[in-house]
This record gives sequence, structure tokens and C-alpha cells, in this order.
Amino acid sequence: MNYSPLIPELIVVLTGLIVVFFGLFLPLRVKKGLGCISALALIASIVYILKSGVLSTSERAGIYFYEAYAIDSLSQFFKLVFLAVSLIVVIASIKRYEDNKYQDEYYGLLLFATFGMMIVASSNDLVTLFIGFELASMSTYVLAGFDKTNPKSLEAAMKYFIIGSVSSAIMLFGLSLLYGVTGTTNIEGISAYVAVNGIADASGIAILVFLIAGFAFKMALVPFHMWAPDTYEGAPTMISAMLAAGSKKMGFVAAFKVFIVALIALRLDLQSVFFILAIITMTYGNVVAISQKSIKRMLAYSSVAQAGYIAMAFVIMTPLAMGAGMLYILSHAFMKSGAFIAVGAVTHMLWTRNKNVENADYLKNFAGLSQRAPYTAFAMLIFVFALAGIPPTAGFVSKFFLFSSAIQAGYIALVVVAILNSALSLYYYARLVKYMYVLPPAGETLKEPRAYLLAMLVAIIAIFAIGIYPAPFLDWAMNAAATIGM
Amino acid sequence: MKFQLHSGCVEQSWPWFAILNFGILIDPLAAVMLCMVSFVSFLIHVYSVGYMSHDHAKPRYFAETALFTTAMLGVVLSDNILQFFIFWELVGLCSYLLIGFWYRKPTAAAAAKKAFLVTRVGDVLFLAGIIILYLNIRDFQIPDEAYLLQFQTMFAAIGHIPPGQLTIITLLFFGGAIGKSGQFPLHIWLPDAMEGPTTVSALIHAATMVTAGVYLVARTFPIFLASPDALTVVAYIGGFTAIFAATMGLVMNDIKRVLAYSTVSQLGYMMLALGTGIVIGAEVVGVSMFHLISHAFFKALLFLCAGSVIHGLGLQDLRQMGGAFSKMKITAITMLIASLALTGIPPTAGFFSKDAIIEGTYAYGVHTGSMVLYALGIIAALLTSIYTYRLWFMAFTGKPRTNYHAHESPPSMTVPLIILAILALVFGLVAHGAFGGFLEHTYSEHLIEDAAAIGGHHLATEHAHPPTILFYMPIIVGVLGFVISWLIYSKRVINMSSIVSKRNPIYNLLLNRYYQQKIYIEFIAITIVYRVLAMLGEFIDRRIIDGIIDGISYVIITIGEFIRRIQTGVVQHYAAFVVAGVVVLIILLQGGIL
Repeated sequence: MNYSPLIPELIVVLTGLIVVFFGLFLPLRVKKGLGCISALALIASIVYILKSGVLSTSERAGIYFYEAYAIDSLSQFFKLVFLAVSLIVVIASIKRYEDNKYQDEYYGLLLFATFGMMIVASSNDLVTLFIGFELASMSTYVLAGFDKTNPKSLEAAMKYFIIGSVSSAIMLFGLSLLYGVTGTTNIEGISAYVAVNGIADASGIAILVFLIAGFAFKMALVPFHMWAPDTYEGAPTMISAMLAAGSKKMGFVAAFKVFIVALIALRLDLQSVFFILAIITMTYGNVVAISQKSIKRMLAYSSVAQAGYIAMAFVIMTPLAMGAGMLYILSHAFMKSGAFIAVGAVTHMLWTRNKNVENADYLKNFAGLSQRAPYTAFAMLIFVFALAGIPPTAGFVSKFFLFSSAIQAGYIALVVVAILNSALSLYYYARLVKYMYVLPPAGETLKEPRAYLLAMLVAIIAIFAIGIYPAPFLDWAMNAAATIGM
Repeated sequence: MKFQLHSGCVEQSWPWFAILNFGILIDPLAAVMLCMVSFVSFLIHVYSVGYMSHDHAKPRYFAETALFTTAMLGVVLSDNILQFFIFWELVGLCSYLLIGFWYRKPTAAAAAKKAFLVTRVGDVLFLAGIIILYLNIRDFQIPDEAYLLQFQTMFAAIGHIPPGQLTIITLLFFGGAIGKSGQFPLHIWLPDAMEGPTTVSALIHAATMVTAGVYLVARTFPIFLASPDALTVVAYIGGFTAIFAATMGLVMNDIKRVLAYSTVSQLGYMMLALGTGIVIGAEVVGVSMFHLISHAFFKALLFLCAGSVIHGLGLQDLRQMGGAFSKMKITAITMLIASLALTGIPPTAGFFSKDAIIEGTYAYGVHTGSMVLYALGIIAALLTSIYTYRLWFMAFTGKPRTNYHAHESPPSMTVPLIILAILALVFGLVAHGAFGGFLEHTYSEHLIEDAAAIGGHHLATEHAHPPTILFYMPIIVGVLGFVISWLIYSKRVINMSSIVSKRNPIYNLLLNRYYQQKIYIEFIAITIVYRVLAMLGEFIDRRIIDGIIDGISYVIITIGEFIRRIQTGVVQHYAAFVVAGVVVLIILLQGGIL
């Protein structure tokens, strides 16, 4: 059997182990190198996935471990998302944690979290899926509390952990019911069983709702989102980027696998639930984002709203909608991680000047940022415009394809709500731009850290690449959609 | 001169996203424009180095002119109508930026706005044309790899469009062309566009923006050919504009304004040429483009000479100039050459190109029995000759009318003048034979025949050649104009003060430019659009729409503030929400509510 498609996972997990192991012995001054090694490992994995060509076919490239682990364009597409977010986060963290003596553990946990997400992306079995889910969750619980001198960070981790555990329990309950009904944990096996024997209404609905609750916790769909604003605000900004841009997508890939592949027989129930959830989520996220003072919190709600847009794919359920949803997932990874990194850069700059600045991520600190830190401000401008869906950014093409797929499928009402929501979201995005570019500066010029700028540059390049020439990315996304039978 | 023939066409189209394809098409028509646009733009850029040397905003100037040239080349190279439109808009934007280059000057800012708004009227018509066209052909079956809005595919589909719709589409396209090429009645922005630097005037009036309209008609010529009504409109609008603008050119005192009206008038000739295609067929594309190219050379030259005069004398009003010949020999001679070309004196480029157009109008007249277009062409030629030499004599001969210190311009300015002057002199001689033949290969013969068949008219196979006296008519009127101007403005045999007086109603009419200011600005813009439409809109907007919007935003912000409180920060509540969510969803699904 050819195990080479597993190389990206191996690179990530081995690097994680190496970083943790050698981190024990290395003196602080060279520990910075561990971040660089992590970044290189992530780049190597990304390059391997791009080179392997799995993305440009809808054929399965390999199935491993008693059919528990599959490599296809869906899995590789999502791995790309996770690895890219991880890379952006690691690059910025090299500066953020250069003086932290636990940074080896930080990078190790980041890589393990990434590894967990990659497992979910490739899982072909409920148990594998759950293990990947938990690996990623455990790692991020710790990471959310990584700034342990900061009580807000600890609070964020605590809330994340408690709600995460509740959701995991609910999800596990759903999974065990599914196993009980179908007698298998293999996703394709379930699909085959349901196709032949059908699934009873009562148990089917219970399974569906439990699983939705479990996955929606990660996706941060209303009303399962409540941990997200607190956690994104309190957690270290890098980790917020990871959660909002990366691990959120883990919920989506799990949903693609379980709902679209295994439980497609329940598609009518699925569509109606997601119809409600999508509308509530996008509206709630945008409305509440308007009244936020903290940019991190605003981005958290915006991320909730974006999840609502992506969830439209589960309502429309056409190949184009699925592809567009995945393209949106890819775009969102860059836009959102970039925006969080920009906030991280601002807070970092403020903290280097004065350690005791409270609420560094508040809107008032962004006043006149274009004069204090022109590159960061400009990057932030691009990120929020991309999030708002302004051409020629990735945010525009993603929304364009998603909304037009909805129109093609006849979901006019849904599109009207989504477009009104987009208009609404422009308010708080534009307000941030106004603060940065119109208002007088809130202080003297800041020195912009290079690592952050590099991380933002990576995100910006991706945003414009997708925005200006979306065809290859949409091809990948359509292939990924094709592998789940769309 | 040898050109590569049809087999050498470059055509490439890439799918971009959704229904947008991005492609380039280099056929003879595009190739000719490509050479002209890049060459003239190059010379103007070189000239600008000298001309703009004292300006502080040089970086902005060169960035904007470069973008302008890019946009124009994009128009020329587009292989589909949508991409054409995108670059077309970009041209419009750049013209706004460049005309308003000295934006601190109120007149420049106003001129930029005017140009932008007036051409926008045309652009909207053009876009409407594209939309109607798309709606008509979207169900048309095309091969898999083909792109619906690509010109070739589009031409293949025109037979399926009802004739009425086709006429509307072509007229809307022509509306766009009118706006960009400054044809009546959307020509009013063009003379005002003189507020920009003179180099910009040369760029806009010779090489780029104004030719875009003519190029649009030439590019979509098969569609025009398929709707004869629209093509007739093109011919008459062109002819009328040619003579209408020339009359105003007679009395302008600003050296650049004379040239501006001259441009409008010459563009009218090009449109007129295209309009005669109803009789002559695709050959007129060659005729029109030939005039476009030769006009580009001599008009760019005229503007650059005017720029040189302005630069050297520090004056712009013809009435203050005079006798500059001895001080600025190169400028004076090159400008004389340009004038000869503009007035169609052999062997300049203008002679060949204008002659071909007037011959076309004669053929049109013989075929249709109406000599109106021919007469328009001849009279406009006479007027052109008069105002052109009036300009030259007033600037360069006689005695200085005011005290000024003249000096010849630096070499970076005079060298482009000389190059353009040589071209204006010899281009016609060298190219007039090959040119039409080369451009004939733009459209395949059966495409033209099909289009004409759709339009339901026959193309004349034999061309009627005018009798000798009529054949020499353009030269005769050209020389006549020279003599008239020489007598009046150099010899001063006629006392102009009796004619040039406020009591002469014709002079007044012309000087006030047919009261266009009153009609367009005061009546249409201020009374109808501003006082009535805008005020009505403002009322609706402020009282009704704003009220609704304010209400909605107030409600949303209030709701946001309220919902924010759900987020208590107490983790037990969060868990409760998760469980409640599960319960509610199960109840909704089990109860069959969803």
C-alpha cells in the first residue's frame, strides 16, 4: 500500500513531537528557532498537498487503517485550510512569544491541534472523526489559556472547555445512537445501511439534532455559539485566529462528511434545520457585532455571521453551493486569520510601549492607526473589506458564487436575507476603517513588528489570488464537493 | 508597407469567473489601433517630460497617463463586449482624473465633472445595450469552449435577434460611442476638457479616449450593418456633428478650444464614414480607421504645437498672439504641416483619408439619391480650412498683439513635433493603398454579407466615382479656405470688426456656441435634472427613505444592545442555551413544524 499521501500528517505530528521534546533542553534564546521549524514543517505539508495533485481530481487517492482514514480532494482541501491558518498563526507567534519560556509547548500544541483537524478532515469513520475532534479541542483548550497571567485568558479557556465538553458529550451521544441504529461506525457503511433500510423518524431526528449541536459548537452557529465571543476575546489573539479561522472549519468538514455522505437520507430535515440556523446565525452575528467596543469581540460576532453564510450550503445542497461553501471556507480562513493577526499586531505594539494597557483591542485604540502603523492599518482595511465582500477580494467571489448558487436553486428569500446582512455588516467594518483612516491618531507612531507583517502579507496574497483569479480555487472546491457525492 | 494578413490574428480567451471571460484579440483592426495608440502615447509621454517639468505633481501625472494608456489598450485588445466595457469605463475614469489634473482650479474641477457625467450618459446607454443584447442571445446554442459575449460568437448570433431589438441595441451602442467620441448631442464635454494640461488634451483628443467611440462602432460593425436604421442615424449624426462643430471652431479665441471643436468635427467625419457603410460595406471600416489614424497623428501634432505655443508664449488667447513665427520656427512649421493635413491638402495624410470619406458620401448619395451627406462633408471641409488657417495666421504672422517673451521649446518637446510632422506628411502617401486592404480582413466576407442580408439591403458592388470637378472638390475647398483666411487674418483686407461684433446675431450665436450652455446646463442640468428630478428625489430620499433607514438602523442598534445582554458571561447560561437549542430543534422537527 502506498502511504505517501499521509506525509503531510506525518510531517506535522513529528515536528510537533520534536518541538516539544527538544524544547525541554534548549535555552530560551534559541527557542525562537522552534517556531521557525514549525513554520517550515507547515509550509512543507502545504507544498506536498499542492504538489500531490489530489486536489485536482475527484478520485479518492487512498484509504487506510481498515477504511478509517481516507485521502481525497475534500480532505486535502480542508487540510490546506487548516495548515494555512496554522502557518499564518505560527509566523505571527514567532514575534509574539519570542520571550516566552514555554513557547515550545505552544508550538507543539498548535501542531497537535492542526494534526487533530487534519484527522477530522480525512476521517472515514465516526471514531476517527471523534478522536480528531477531541485532539484538536484539547490542544486548543490549553492554548486558549496560554497567557496564564491574564485572567481573561484563563476565563476564556475555562468557558471554552466547559461548553466544549458539553457539546462533545451531546455529539458523542448522537454518534453512539447512530452506531446503535446502523451497527457500524464507518461513514460509507452508514450511508449504505441507511440507503437500504432507511432510518426511523424519531431516532433519525434525535441523531441529526445531537450531531448538529455538536458540530455547530465548533462552527459557532446560534444558539451554540455563546462560548465564542468570550473565548475569542479573552484568548491570546493568535489562538482566536486559530479558532475562528481554522478549528471552526473542522465543524464544517465533519458536517460535510456525516450529513452529506452518511445521512443524506435526512436531507429534508437537514435543510430545514440549517435554513433556520443560517438565518438566525447571520442576522444575530451581524446585529450584535454592531454594538461591540472590542475589535476581537466584533470579529468574533462577524465570524458567527460568516458561519451563517457558509451554512447556507447545507440548505441549498447543489454542487455549486457546496463548492461555493468550500471556497468561502478557504477565503474566510485567510480573511479572518488576517484580521485577528492585525488586531494582534496592534495589541502587541501597544503592549510593547506600555505593559499595563487594558483593553488594548478596543476600537478607540484604532483611531488614526493609518498614521501610527500604516502597514497594519492598510492590511486591516483589506481584511475587513474582504469580510464585507468587496471586490476584488476573496470575500467577494465567495459570496458571489454562494449567493448565485442559492438564486439558481430558487432560495431567493435566503439570498435576500444574506444580502441584507452583508449590507448590515458593512456598517461595523466601515466604522473600523473610519477609526483607522479618518479619526486623529490616538498616540505616536508605532514600530510595526515584521513577523506580524509577514503573516498578514501571506493572508493578503491569498485573498487577492482568490479574488482576482478564483477559477483554480473553485475547481478544487468543486472537486471536493464531488467527492461527497455532489 | 506590408501588414500581416488574417492568418496572423491572435485570439485567446480565458474563463475568468461566472460569465466573465478575459481575452485578447489582435486582428487587423486592433493591430492598427494598437500601433497608433501606443506610438502616439509614447510620443506624448516623451513630450510630457519637458512640458510637465515644472509641475509638482509629476508622479501623479505620469501614473494617470500610464493608466489611461493602459485602459485604452485594454479597450483595443478586448475580445468580448463585457471586457470592452470594463476598460471603456476605466478610460472614462482616467479622463476624469486627467482633465481635473489641476483640481485646485475650479474650472478644471468643473470640466472634469462635466466630462465624467456627460460620457456617463453614453456609458449607461452602452451598458443597457449590452444587457439587452445578452438577454437576446443567452439562449443561443454555442459550442462548449466558445464564449457568448465574444465578438465572433456575438456576430454569429445576431441573426436570431428580432430586427426591432437589434436596432435598439445598436442605437444604444452608438449612444455609448456618441458619449466617448463627443458626437452631437453629447459633445459638450469635449471643449471643456481643455482645462487639463495640453498633453492630456493631445492624449484625449488624438490618440485615446475620443477614438474609442469610433472604434466601438468599427468593432461591432457587423451588428450595425445588420440594422440599417441605426447605421443611417450614425451617418447623419456624424455629418451633422462635422459641420456643427466646425462652425463653432470659426469663432473660438482660445487656441485649444479651436482644436477641440476641430476634433469633434473630425470625429463626425469618421462616424459619417462608418455610416456610409450601409452602401459600401465593410470597406468603410478601413476608410474610417484610416482617417482616425491620420487624424491621430496630425491632431496630436496640432495639440502638441499648441502646447508648445502656450509653453513658449505663456498665452492661450489667439487675440493676444501674433508674429511668433520668427521666435518659434520649428513649432510654426510643424503646425503648418499639421494644418495642411487637417485641411486635406495633398500629399498630407489628411488628404487621402478625408478624400476617401467624401468619396464614400458621394457613392452613398448616388445609391440613395440624397446628396445631403456629401454636401455636409464638403461644407464642413471648407469651414475646417477657414478655422485652421485662421488659427495659424493669428498665432504666427503679423505683429505681436501684446508684449510677450517668446522662446522655442526644449528638444524633448520639439522632437516629438518633428516626428509627428513627418508622419502627418508621409503617412498618407505610404499607407493609403495598403491600409484599406489590410483592414478588409477584419471581418470575413460572408459575415458582412450575412449581416447585410439580415439588415435587408444590398451593398453596392460598383462604386460610383464622382465627376472630376467633384473629385477635386475637397482640395478646392481646402485651398479656398486657406485663401479666405489669408485675406482676412494675414492681409486683413476685410475689416473684421463689423462682423465680429455683438450686434451680429450669427456671430453671437456661434460665439455663444448655439447657446448650448443655456440649453444643457441651465435648462437641462439645472432646471430639469436639479430643480425637478433631484429635488423630488431629495424629498423622497430625505423624508421617506432616510426615515425608513434611520428607523431600521435605530431598531437594529436597539435590538443589538438588547441581545447583547443575553451574553451574560455566565457559563452556566451558555450551557443552558446549548441544551435549550437541542430541545427546541428536536421539538420543532418531531412536531413537524419544520
